[in-house]
Amino acid sequence: MVETAGLYQRYDNNSDYVLKNINLTINRGEFVFIVGASGAGKSTLLKLMIREIAPTSGTIKVFGQDLKRIPARRIPYLRRNIGIVFQDFRLLEERTAYDNIAFALRVTGTPWWEIRRRVPRVLEMVGLKDKERCRVCDLSGGEQQRVGIARAIVNRPAMIIADEPTGNLDPDTSLEVMNILRDINIQGTTIVVATHDQEIVDRFQKRVIYLEKGRLVSDEKKGAYIRAL
Amino acid sequence: MPFESFFYFLGEAFKSLYRNRWLSIASVGVVAITLLMLGTFMAVNFNINHMAETVKNQVEITVQIDDSAGVEERNQLRQMLVAHNSITEVRFVSREEALNRLKEQLPPGSLDGYENPEDNPLPDSFEIRTSVPEEVIPVAKEIEGYPAVEKVLYGEGTVENLFKTTTALKIIGIVLMVLLAVTAVFLISHTIRLTVLLRRREIMIMKYVGATNSFIRWPFLLEGLFLGLAGAVLPLLVLYYSYGAALQWVDAANLTFLSLIPLSTIMLQLFKYLVPLGTGLGVLGSIFSMGRFLKV
Repeated sequence: MVETAGLYQRYDNNSDYVLKNINLTINRGEFVFIVGASGAGKSTLLKLMIREIAPTSGTIKVFGQDLKRIPARRIPYLRRNIGIVFQDFRLLEERTAYDNIAFALRVTGTPWWEIRRRVPRVLEMVGLKDKERCRVCDLSGGEQQRVGIARAIVNRPAMIIADEPTGNLDPDTSLEVMNILRDINIQGTTIVVATHDQEIVDRFQKRVIYLEKGRLVSDEKKGAYIRAL
Repeated sequence: MPFESFFYFLGEAFKSLYRNRWLSIASVGVVAITLLMLGTFMAVNFNINHMAETVKNQVEITVQIDDSAGVEERNQLRQMLVAHNSITEVRFVSREEALNRLKEQLPPGSLDGYENPEDNPLPDSFEIRTSVPEEVIPVAKEIEGYPAVEKVLYGEGTVENLFKTTTALKIIGIVLMVLLAVTAVFLISHTIRLTVLLRRREIMIMKYVGATNSFIRWPFLLEGLFLGLAGAVLPLLVLYYSYGAALQWVDAANLTFLSLIPLSTIMLQLFKYLVPLGTGLGVLGSIFSMGRFLKV
Protein backbone atom coordinates (compact mmCIF):
# COMPACT_ATOMS: atom_id res chain seq x y z
CA MET A 1 0.00 0.00 0.00
CA VAL A 2 2.88 2.35 0.93
CA GLU A 3 6.43 1.58 -0.05
CA THR A 4 9.44 3.81 0.37
CA ALA A 5 13.03 3.19 -0.64
CA GLY A 6 15.96 5.45 0.20
CA LEU A 7 13.55 8.30 0.83
CA TYR A 8 15.13 11.67 1.62
CA GLN A 9 13.33 14.93 2.13
CA ARG A 10 14.39 18.48 2.71
CA TYR A 11 12.45 21.69 2.21
CA ASP A 12 15.12 23.70 0.45
CA ASN A 13 18.60 23.18 -0.88
CA ASN A 14 20.36 24.82 2.07
CA SER A 15 18.45 23.17 4.91
CA ASP A 16 19.12 19.83 6.63
CA TYR A 17 17.24 16.71 5.60
CA VAL A 18 13.98 16.29 7.52
CA LEU A 19 13.82 12.62 6.49
CA LYS A 20 16.91 10.52 5.87
CA ASN A 21 16.97 7.17 4.10
CA ILE A 22 13.51 5.94 5.03
CA ASN A 23 12.78 2.39 3.88
CA LEU A 24 9.44 0.97 4.91
CA THR A 25 6.45 -0.94 3.64
CA ILE A 26 2.90 -0.64 4.94
CA ASN A 27 0.59 -3.43 3.82
CA ARG A 28 -3.11 -3.48 3.17
CA GLY A 29 -5.21 -3.66 6.34
CA GLU A 30 -2.40 -2.66 8.72
CA PHE A 31 -2.74 -0.25 11.63
CA VAL A 32 0.49 1.70 12.00
CA PHE A 33 1.58 4.29 14.51
CA ILE A 34 4.35 6.66 13.49
CA VAL A 35 5.88 8.07 16.65
CA GLY A 36 8.70 10.39 17.54
CA ALA A 37 9.41 13.75 19.10
CA SER A 38 8.30 17.00 17.48
CA GLY A 39 10.40 17.66 14.41
CA ALA A 40 11.26 13.97 13.98
CA GLY A 41 9.69 14.02 10.51
CA LYS A 42 6.32 12.35 11.21
CA SER A 43 4.21 15.01 9.52
CA THR A 44 6.63 15.25 6.60
CA LEU A 45 6.29 11.52 6.01
CA LEU A 46 2.49 11.84 5.98
CA LYS A 47 2.67 14.84 3.62
CA LEU A 48 4.72 12.70 1.25
CA MET A 49 2.11 9.94 1.38
CA ILE A 50 -0.67 12.26 0.26
CA ARG A 51 1.66 13.94 -2.23
CA GLU A 52 1.33 17.35 -0.61
CA ILE A 53 5.08 17.49 -1.22
CA ALA A 54 7.26 15.58 -3.66
CA PRO A 55 10.26 13.61 -2.35
CA THR A 56 13.70 15.20 -2.67
CA SER A 57 15.26 11.84 -3.53
CA GLY A 58 14.44 8.17 -3.27
CA THR A 59 11.04 6.74 -4.05
CA ILE A 60 7.67 6.59 -2.38
CA LYS A 61 4.91 4.50 -3.87
CA VAL A 62 1.30 4.63 -2.71
CA PHE A 63 -1.14 2.09 -4.19
CA GLY A 64 1.70 1.17 -6.52
CA GLN A 65 1.98 4.70 -7.96
CA ASP A 66 5.34 6.40 -7.86
CA LEU A 67 4.53 9.75 -6.23
CA LYS A 68 7.64 11.39 -7.62
CA ARG A 69 6.39 10.83 -11.15
CA ILE A 70 2.65 11.15 -10.69
CA PRO A 71 1.20 13.87 -12.97
CA ALA A 72 -0.42 16.79 -11.10
CA ARG A 73 -3.84 16.01 -12.58
CA ARG A 74 -3.76 12.50 -11.08
CA ILE A 75 -3.17 13.71 -7.50
CA PRO A 76 -6.87 14.41 -6.72
CA TYR A 77 -7.72 10.82 -7.71
CA LEU A 78 -4.94 9.49 -5.47
CA ARG A 79 -6.36 11.50 -2.56
CA ARG A 80 -9.86 10.16 -3.08
CA ASN A 81 -8.43 6.84 -2.00
CA ILE A 82 -6.88 8.30 1.15
CA GLY A 83 -8.93 9.75 4.00
CA ILE A 84 -7.07 12.46 5.90
CA VAL A 85 -7.68 13.37 9.55
CA PHE A 86 -6.03 16.44 11.05
CA GLN A 87 -5.11 17.50 14.56
CA ASP A 88 -6.99 20.78 14.10
CA PHE A 89 -9.93 18.98 12.40
CA ARG A 90 -10.00 21.40 9.40
CA LEU A 91 -13.75 21.56 9.17
CA LEU A 92 -15.99 24.28 7.77
CA GLU A 93 -17.05 25.53 11.17
CA GLU A 94 -20.09 27.55 10.15
CA ARG A 95 -21.65 24.57 8.40
CA THR A 96 -23.43 21.55 9.83
CA ALA A 97 -21.86 18.15 10.46
CA TYR A 98 -23.91 16.83 7.54
CA ASP A 99 -22.70 19.59 5.21
CA ASN A 100 -19.07 19.02 6.08
CA ILE A 101 -19.25 15.37 5.13
CA ALA A 102 -21.46 15.97 2.10
CA PHE A 103 -18.92 18.58 0.97
CA ALA A 104 -16.24 15.88 0.54
CA LEU A 105 -18.64 13.89 -1.62
CA ARG A 106 -19.91 16.86 -3.62
CA VAL A 107 -16.51 18.12 -4.62
CA THR A 108 -15.62 14.68 -5.93
CA GLY A 109 -18.71 14.66 -8.12
CA THR A 110 -20.91 12.21 -6.18
CA PRO A 111 -24.60 12.46 -7.20
CA TRP A 112 -26.99 13.92 -4.59
CA TRP A 113 -28.97 10.75 -3.98
CA GLU A 114 -25.77 8.90 -3.15
CA ILE A 115 -24.76 11.72 -0.78
CA ARG A 116 -28.11 11.53 0.99
CA ARG A 117 -27.66 7.79 1.45
CA ARG A 118 -24.04 7.79 2.58
CA VAL A 119 -23.74 10.77 4.95
CA PRO A 120 -26.20 9.53 7.63
CA ARG A 121 -24.55 6.15 7.49
CA VAL A 122 -21.04 7.44 8.29
CA LEU A 123 -22.42 9.79 10.94
CA GLU A 124 -23.95 6.75 12.59
CA MET A 125 -20.65 4.92 12.38
CA VAL A 126 -18.90 7.67 14.35
CA GLY A 127 -21.80 7.97 16.80
CA LEU A 128 -23.07 11.38 15.69
CA LYS A 129 -26.39 10.42 14.17
CA ASP A 130 -28.30 12.91 16.30
CA LYS A 131 -25.84 15.76 15.59
CA GLU A 132 -26.41 15.75 11.84
CA ARG A 133 -27.95 19.23 11.78
CA CYS A 134 -25.63 20.80 14.38
CA ARG A 135 -23.17 23.39 13.24
CA VAL A 136 -19.62 22.20 13.72
CA CYS A 137 -18.71 25.21 15.87
CA ASP A 138 -21.38 24.12 18.37
CA LEU A 139 -19.84 20.64 18.76
CA SER A 140 -17.22 19.58 21.32
CA GLY A 141 -13.62 18.88 20.26
CA GLY A 142 -14.19 15.12 20.31
CA GLU A 143 -17.34 15.44 18.26
CA GLN A 144 -15.56 17.68 15.78
CA GLN A 145 -12.83 15.10 15.35
CA ARG A 146 -15.48 12.44 14.78
CA VAL A 147 -16.94 14.60 12.02
CA GLY A 148 -13.39 14.78 10.63
CA ILE A 149 -13.15 10.99 10.66
CA ALA A 150 -16.60 10.62 9.10
CA ARG A 151 -15.48 12.96 6.32
CA ALA A 152 -12.30 10.93 5.86
CA ILE A 153 -14.15 7.61 5.47
CA VAL A 154 -17.16 8.75 3.46
CA ASN A 155 -15.37 8.31 0.14
CA ARG A 156 -14.56 4.72 1.21
CA PRO A 157 -10.80 5.17 1.00
CA ALA A 158 -8.40 2.25 1.12
CA MET A 159 -6.24 4.08 3.65
CA ILE A 160 -6.70 6.69 6.37
CA ILE A 161 -3.86 8.98 7.34
CA ALA A 162 -4.25 10.81 10.64
CA ASP A 163 -1.80 13.48 11.78
CA GLU A 164 -1.98 13.79 15.59
CA PRO A 165 -5.73 13.09 15.58
CA THR A 166 -5.88 13.23 19.39
CA GLY A 167 -3.50 16.14 19.82
CA ASN A 168 -6.27 18.56 20.79
CA LEU A 169 -8.38 16.14 22.83
CA ASP A 170 -8.53 15.01 26.47
CA PRO A 171 -7.51 11.38 27.25
CA ASP A 172 -11.05 9.93 27.37
CA THR A 173 -12.09 11.58 24.13
CA SER A 174 -8.79 10.53 22.55
CA LEU A 175 -9.56 6.94 23.37
CA GLU A 176 -13.02 7.19 21.85
CA VAL A 177 -11.57 8.63 18.64
CA MET A 178 -8.92 5.92 18.46
CA ASN A 179 -11.52 3.24 19.03
CA ILE A 180 -13.43 4.53 16.01
CA LEU A 181 -10.24 4.34 13.94
CA ARG A 182 -9.64 0.79 15.19
CA ASP A 183 -13.19 -0.21 14.19
CA ILE A 184 -12.61 1.19 10.74
CA ASN A 185 -9.37 -0.77 10.56
CA ILE A 186 -11.18 -3.98 11.51
CA GLN A 187 -13.36 -3.50 8.43
CA GLY A 188 -10.22 -3.60 6.29
CA THR A 189 -9.09 0.00 5.90
CA THR A 190 -5.37 0.66 6.36
CA ILE A 191 -4.74 3.23 9.11
CA VAL A 192 -1.59 5.32 9.56
CA VAL A 193 -1.52 7.53 12.66
CA ALA A 194 1.24 9.97 13.53
CA THR A 195 1.18 10.69 17.25
CA HIS A 196 3.20 11.27 20.37
CA ASP A 197 0.41 10.12 22.66
CA GLN A 198 2.26 7.42 24.54
CA GLU A 199 -0.77 6.05 26.38
CA ILE A 200 -2.70 5.45 23.17
CA VAL A 201 0.22 3.72 21.47
CA ASP A 202 0.81 1.45 24.44
CA ARG A 203 -2.81 0.53 24.80
CA PHE A 204 -3.44 -0.44 21.18
CA GLN A 205 -0.46 -2.78 20.68
CA LYS A 206 -0.14 -2.14 16.95
CA ARG A 207 2.83 -1.74 14.67
CA VAL A 208 4.99 1.21 15.79
CA ILE A 209 7.46 3.00 13.55
CA TYR A 210 9.78 5.26 15.51
CA LEU A 211 11.45 8.25 13.88
CA GLU A 212 14.27 10.22 15.41
CA LYS A 213 15.76 13.28 13.77
CA GLY A 214 14.51 12.12 10.41
CA ARG A 215 15.77 8.55 10.66
CA LEU A 216 13.73 5.41 11.10
CA VAL A 217 15.23 3.95 14.27
CA SER A 218 12.80 1.14 15.08
CA ASP A 219 9.85 -0.66 13.50
CA GLU A 220 8.04 -3.19 15.70
CA LYS A 221 5.09 -5.36 14.81
CA LYS A 222 3.28 -5.16 18.14
CA GLY A 223 5.11 -2.29 19.67
CA ALA A 224 4.71 0.11 22.49
CA TYR A 225 5.99 3.66 22.71
CA ILE A 226 8.45 2.72 25.44
CA ARG A 227 9.88 -0.21 23.52
CA ALA A 228 10.18 1.89 20.46
CA LEU A 229 12.43 4.20 22.39
CA MET B 1 -17.73 20.53 -18.38
CA PRO B 2 -20.80 18.29 -18.25
CA PHE B 3 -24.19 19.99 -18.26
CA GLU B 4 -25.07 18.56 -14.84
CA SER B 5 -21.89 19.92 -13.31
CA PHE B 6 -22.58 23.37 -14.70
CA PHE B 7 -25.75 23.59 -12.65
CA TYR B 8 -23.89 22.27 -9.65
CA PHE B 9 -21.23 24.98 -10.05
CA LEU B 10 -23.89 27.62 -10.57
CA GLY B 11 -25.71 26.47 -7.45
CA GLU B 12 -22.49 26.37 -5.46
CA ALA B 13 -21.54 29.86 -6.64
CA PHE B 14 -24.89 31.31 -5.53
CA LYS B 15 -24.88 29.38 -2.27
CA SER B 16 -21.44 30.62 -1.43
CA LEU B 17 -22.33 34.19 -2.41
CA TYR B 18 -25.19 33.90 0.06
CA ARG B 19 -23.15 32.16 2.74
CA ASN B 20 -20.52 34.88 2.53
CA ARG B 21 -23.13 37.55 1.95
CA TRP B 22 -21.39 40.32 3.88
CA LEU B 23 -18.21 39.75 1.98
CA SER B 24 -20.19 39.56 -1.28
CA ILE B 25 -21.96 42.83 -0.52
CA ALA B 26 -18.66 44.49 0.38
CA SER B 27 -17.03 43.24 -2.84
CA VAL B 28 -19.94 44.34 -5.00
CA GLY B 29 -19.85 47.68 -3.17
CA VAL B 30 -16.17 48.26 -3.89
CA VAL B 31 -16.53 47.21 -7.52
CA ALA B 32 -19.67 49.33 -7.93
CA ILE B 33 -18.21 52.46 -6.34
CA THR B 34 -14.99 52.19 -8.33
CA LEU B 35 -16.84 51.64 -11.58
CA LEU B 36 -19.30 54.42 -10.72
CA MET B 37 -16.39 56.82 -10.38
CA LEU B 38 -14.90 55.60 -13.62
CA GLY B 39 -18.30 55.64 -15.36
CA THR B 40 -19.12 59.16 -14.18
CA PHE B 41 -15.78 60.42 -15.34
CA MET B 42 -16.19 58.65 -18.67
CA ALA B 43 -19.64 60.19 -19.17
CA VAL B 44 -18.26 63.66 -18.43
CA ASN B 45 -15.24 63.09 -20.63
CA PHE B 46 -17.27 61.71 -23.55
CA ASN B 47 -19.49 64.78 -23.35
CA ILE B 48 -16.60 67.22 -23.24
CA ASN B 49 -15.16 65.56 -26.32
CA HIS B 50 -18.56 65.56 -27.97
CA MET B 51 -19.01 69.27 -27.30
CA ALA B 52 -15.52 70.04 -28.54
CA GLU B 53 -16.22 68.09 -31.73
CA THR B 54 -19.53 69.92 -32.18
CA VAL B 55 -17.82 73.29 -31.83
CA LYS B 56 -15.02 72.23 -34.15
CA ASN B 57 -17.49 71.08 -36.76
CA GLN B 58 -19.07 74.50 -36.77
CA VAL B 59 -15.83 76.11 -37.85
CA GLU B 60 -16.11 77.27 -41.50
CA ILE B 61 -14.15 79.37 -43.93
CA THR B 62 -15.53 82.51 -45.52
CA VAL B 63 -13.88 83.32 -48.86
CA GLN B 64 -14.57 86.97 -49.70
CA ILE B 65 -14.65 87.63 -53.41
CA ASP B 66 -12.75 90.49 -54.92
CA ASP B 67 -15.32 93.12 -56.05
CA SER B 68 -13.48 93.69 -59.24
CA ALA B 69 -13.61 90.03 -60.29
CA GLY B 70 -15.73 89.21 -63.31
CA VAL B 71 -18.29 86.43 -63.73
CA GLU B 72 -15.78 84.12 -65.37
CA GLU B 73 -13.26 84.51 -62.56
CA ARG B 74 -15.95 83.94 -59.97
CA ASN B 75 -17.07 80.75 -61.72
CA GLN B 76 -13.49 79.60 -61.96
CA LEU B 77 -13.05 80.15 -58.19
CA ARG B 78 -16.25 78.27 -57.49
CA GLN B 79 -15.13 75.35 -59.62
CA MET B 80 -11.75 75.22 -57.89
CA LEU B 81 -13.42 75.19 -54.49
CA VAL B 82 -15.91 72.47 -55.44
CA ALA B 83 -13.14 70.35 -56.96
CA HIS B 84 -10.96 70.59 -53.82
CA ASN B 85 -10.64 67.21 -52.09
CA SER B 86 -10.90 68.50 -48.52
CA ILE B 87 -13.92 70.73 -49.15
CA THR B 88 -17.34 69.16 -48.64
CA GLU B 89 -19.65 72.14 -48.91
CA VAL B 90 -19.53 75.36 -50.91
CA ARG B 91 -22.26 77.93 -50.54
CA PHE B 92 -22.51 81.31 -52.26
CA VAL B 93 -23.54 84.17 -49.96
CA SER B 94 -24.46 87.37 -51.72
CA ARG B 95 -23.58 90.70 -50.16
CA GLU B 96 -27.31 91.35 -49.54
CA GLU B 97 -27.69 88.09 -47.65
CA ALA B 98 -24.56 88.86 -45.64
CA LEU B 99 -25.98 92.23 -44.65
CA ASN B 100 -29.32 90.70 -43.66
CA ARG B 101 -27.54 88.19 -41.44
CA LEU B 102 -25.55 90.94 -39.81
CA LYS B 103 -28.78 92.83 -39.14
CA GLU B 104 -30.20 89.82 -37.35
CA GLN B 105 -27.16 89.46 -35.18
CA LEU B 106 -26.79 93.11 -34.17
CA PRO B 107 -29.24 95.13 -32.01
CA PRO B 108 -32.04 96.77 -34.07
CA GLY B 109 -31.06 100.11 -35.58
CA SER B 110 -27.31 99.46 -35.50
CA LEU B 111 -27.12 99.30 -39.26
CA ASP B 112 -29.39 102.27 -40.02
CA GLY B 113 -28.10 104.16 -43.02
CA TYR B 114 -26.96 101.07 -44.90
CA GLU B 115 -30.38 100.35 -46.48
CA ASN B 116 -29.24 101.43 -49.90
CA PRO B 117 -27.55 98.51 -51.71
CA GLU B 118 -24.93 100.91 -52.91
CA ASP B 119 -23.88 101.58 -49.32
CA ASN B 120 -23.48 97.90 -48.45
CA PRO B 121 -19.80 97.52 -47.50
CA LEU B 122 -19.89 93.74 -47.46
CA PRO B 123 -18.54 91.71 -50.40
CA ASP B 124 -20.03 88.58 -52.01
CA SER B 125 -18.53 85.44 -50.55
CA PHE B 126 -18.36 81.64 -50.54
CA GLU B 127 -18.86 79.82 -47.27
CA ILE B 128 -17.07 76.49 -47.25
CA ARG B 129 -16.75 73.56 -44.91
CA THR B 130 -13.98 71.02 -44.82
CA SER B 131 -14.43 67.29 -44.33
CA VAL B 132 -12.24 67.34 -41.20
CA PRO B 133 -12.22 70.41 -38.93
CA GLU B 134 -8.43 70.20 -38.58
CA GLU B 135 -8.05 70.95 -42.31
CA VAL B 136 -9.59 74.39 -41.97
CA ILE B 137 -6.23 76.12 -41.47
CA PRO B 138 -4.22 74.55 -44.35
CA VAL B 139 -7.19 74.85 -46.72
CA ALA B 140 -7.69 78.52 -45.82
CA LYS B 141 -4.02 79.23 -46.44
CA GLU B 142 -4.21 77.47 -49.81
CA ILE B 143 -7.33 79.36 -50.92
CA GLU B 144 -5.64 82.68 -50.22
CA GLY B 145 -3.62 82.08 -53.39
CA TYR B 146 -6.68 81.43 -55.60
CA PRO B 147 -7.80 84.02 -58.22
CA ALA B 148 -10.57 86.51 -57.42
CA VAL B 149 -10.06 86.06 -53.67
CA GLU B 150 -9.91 89.20 -51.65
CA LYS B 151 -9.68 87.76 -48.15
CA VAL B 152 -10.06 84.40 -46.43
CA LEU B 153 -11.63 84.48 -42.96
CA TYR B 154 -11.66 81.49 -40.59
CA GLY B 155 -11.29 83.05 -37.16
CA GLU B 156 -7.52 83.02 -37.28
CA GLY B 157 -6.04 82.61 -33.81
CA THR B 158 -9.35 81.54 -32.25
CA VAL B 159 -9.50 78.35 -34.32
CA GLU B 160 -5.91 77.44 -33.48
CA ASN B 161 -6.67 77.95 -29.78
CA LEU B 162 -9.86 75.92 -30.05
CA PHE B 163 -7.98 73.03 -31.62
CA LYS B 164 -5.23 73.23 -29.02
CA THR B 165 -7.78 73.27 -26.19
CA THR B 166 -9.76 70.34 -27.52
CA THR B 167 -6.60 68.28 -28.04
CA ALA B 168 -5.43 69.09 -24.51
CA LEU B 169 -8.85 68.17 -23.10
CA LYS B 170 -8.75 64.89 -24.96
CA ILE B 171 -5.27 64.00 -23.66
CA ILE B 172 -6.12 64.97 -20.07
CA GLY B 173 -9.32 62.95 -20.36
CA ILE B 174 -7.52 59.86 -21.63
CA VAL B 175 -4.79 60.11 -18.97
CA LEU B 176 -7.32 60.50 -16.14
CA MET B 177 -9.47 57.70 -17.54
CA VAL B 178 -6.48 55.35 -17.71
CA LEU B 179 -5.47 56.29 -14.15
CA LEU B 180 -8.99 55.67 -12.89
CA ALA B 181 -9.18 52.39 -14.79
CA VAL B 182 -5.87 51.27 -13.27
CA THR B 183 -7.21 52.17 -9.81
CA ALA B 184 -10.35 50.20 -10.59
CA VAL B 185 -8.32 47.18 -11.69
CA PHE B 186 -6.24 47.39 -8.51
CA LEU B 187 -9.20 47.82 -6.16
CA ILE B 188 -11.38 45.19 -7.76
CA SER B 189 -8.70 42.55 -8.10
CA HIS B 190 -7.71 43.06 -4.46
CA THR B 191 -11.28 42.77 -3.29
CA ILE B 192 -11.79 39.53 -5.21
CA ARG B 193 -8.46 38.35 -3.85
CA LEU B 194 -9.71 39.00 -0.37
CA THR B 195 -12.84 36.93 -0.94
CA VAL B 196 -10.69 34.03 -2.09
CA LEU B 197 -8.16 34.55 0.73
CA LEU B 198 -10.86 34.43 3.38
CA ARG B 199 -11.96 31.10 1.99
CA ARG B 200 -8.59 29.44 1.60
CA ARG B 201 -9.60 26.92 4.27
CA GLU B 202 -12.43 25.76 2.04
CA ILE B 203 -10.09 25.46 -0.93
CA MET B 204 -7.54 23.57 1.16
CA ILE B 205 -10.15 21.08 2.38
CA MET B 206 -11.34 20.59 -1.20
CA LYS B 207 -7.78 19.75 -2.18
CA TYR B 208 -7.37 17.26 0.66
CA VAL B 209 -10.58 15.39 -0.12
CA GLY B 210 -9.51 15.03 -3.74
CA ALA B 211 -11.38 17.71 -5.67
CA THR B 212 -9.79 18.45 -9.04
CA ASN B 213 -8.50 21.96 -9.66
CA SER B 214 -11.13 22.69 -12.27
CA PHE B 215 -13.85 21.54 -9.88
CA ILE B 216 -12.55 23.98 -7.27
CA ARG B 217 -12.02 26.76 -9.76
CA TRP B 218 -15.42 26.87 -11.46
CA PRO B 219 -17.62 28.02 -8.57
CA PHE B 220 -15.05 30.68 -7.62
CA LEU B 221 -14.80 31.80 -11.20
CA LEU B 222 -18.58 32.09 -11.50
CA GLU B 223 -18.67 33.93 -8.19
CA GLY B 224 -16.08 36.40 -9.45
CA LEU B 225 -18.15 36.81 -12.59
CA PHE B 226 -21.34 37.54 -10.65
CA LEU B 227 -19.60 39.91 -8.26
CA GLY B 228 -18.07 41.78 -11.19
CA LEU B 229 -21.33 41.81 -13.12
CA ALA B 230 -23.36 43.07 -10.16
CA GLY B 231 -20.64 45.63 -9.48
CA ALA B 232 -20.93 46.86 -13.08
CA VAL B 233 -24.72 46.83 -13.41
CA LEU B 234 -25.30 48.89 -10.25
CA PRO B 235 -23.27 51.92 -11.39
CA LEU B 236 -24.86 51.61 -14.84
CA LEU B 237 -28.30 51.91 -13.22
CA VAL B 238 -27.18 54.88 -11.15
CA LEU B 239 -25.64 56.50 -14.24
CA TYR B 240 -28.76 55.80 -16.28
CA TYR B 241 -31.00 57.67 -13.87
CA SER B 242 -28.58 60.46 -13.01
CA TYR B 243 -27.62 61.10 -16.63
CA GLY B 244 -31.30 61.12 -17.59
CA ALA B 245 -31.93 63.66 -14.84
CA ALA B 246 -28.98 65.77 -16.02
CA LEU B 247 -30.36 65.78 -19.58
CA GLN B 248 -33.77 66.88 -18.31
CA TRP B 249 -32.22 69.62 -16.23
CA VAL B 250 -30.20 70.93 -19.18
CA ASP B 251 -33.37 70.87 -21.25
CA ALA B 252 -35.44 72.65 -18.62
CA ALA B 253 -32.78 75.30 -18.03
CA ASN B 254 -32.67 76.03 -21.78
CA LEU B 255 -29.00 75.17 -21.97
CA THR B 256 -29.48 73.35 -25.25
CA PHE B 257 -26.29 74.84 -26.66
CA LEU B 258 -24.53 72.33 -24.38
CA SER B 259 -25.37 69.63 -26.96
CA LEU B 260 -25.02 66.57 -24.68
CA ILE B 261 -24.79 62.99 -25.94
CA PRO B 262 -28.23 61.27 -25.92
CA LEU B 263 -28.95 58.84 -23.06
CA SER B 264 -29.08 55.66 -25.17
CA THR B 265 -25.78 56.42 -26.92
CA ILE B 266 -23.88 57.16 -23.73
CA MET B 267 -25.33 54.14 -21.91
CA LEU B 268 -24.26 51.89 -24.77
CA GLN B 269 -20.74 53.33 -24.57
CA LEU B 270 -20.55 52.90 -20.80
CA PHE B 271 -22.01 49.38 -21.00
CA LYS B 272 -19.33 48.49 -23.54
CA TYR B 273 -16.56 49.49 -21.11
CA LEU B 274 -17.91 48.83 -17.61
CA VAL B 275 -19.49 45.37 -18.04
CA PRO B 276 -16.43 43.68 -19.58
CA LEU B 277 -14.19 45.51 -17.10
CA GLY B 278 -16.26 44.41 -14.08
CA THR B 279 -16.83 40.81 -15.12
CA GLY B 280 -13.35 40.40 -16.61
CA LEU B 281 -11.70 41.65 -13.44
CA GLY B 282 -13.97 39.47 -11.32
CA VAL B 283 -13.01 36.36 -13.26
CA LEU B 284 -9.31 37.17 -13.62
CA GLY B 285 -9.08 38.24 -9.99
CA SER B 286 -10.53 34.89 -8.94
CA ILE B 287 -8.21 32.87 -11.16
CA PHE B 288 -5.06 34.68 -10.07
CA SER B 289 -5.86 34.70 -6.37
CA MET B 290 -6.69 31.01 -6.38
CA GLY B 291 -3.49 29.90 -8.07
CA ARG B 292 -1.45 29.90 -4.87
CA PHE B 293 -3.95 27.83 -2.90
CA LEU B 294 -4.42 25.26 -5.61
CA LYS B 295 -0.80 24.15 -5.31
CA VAL B 296 -1.38 22.09 -2.13
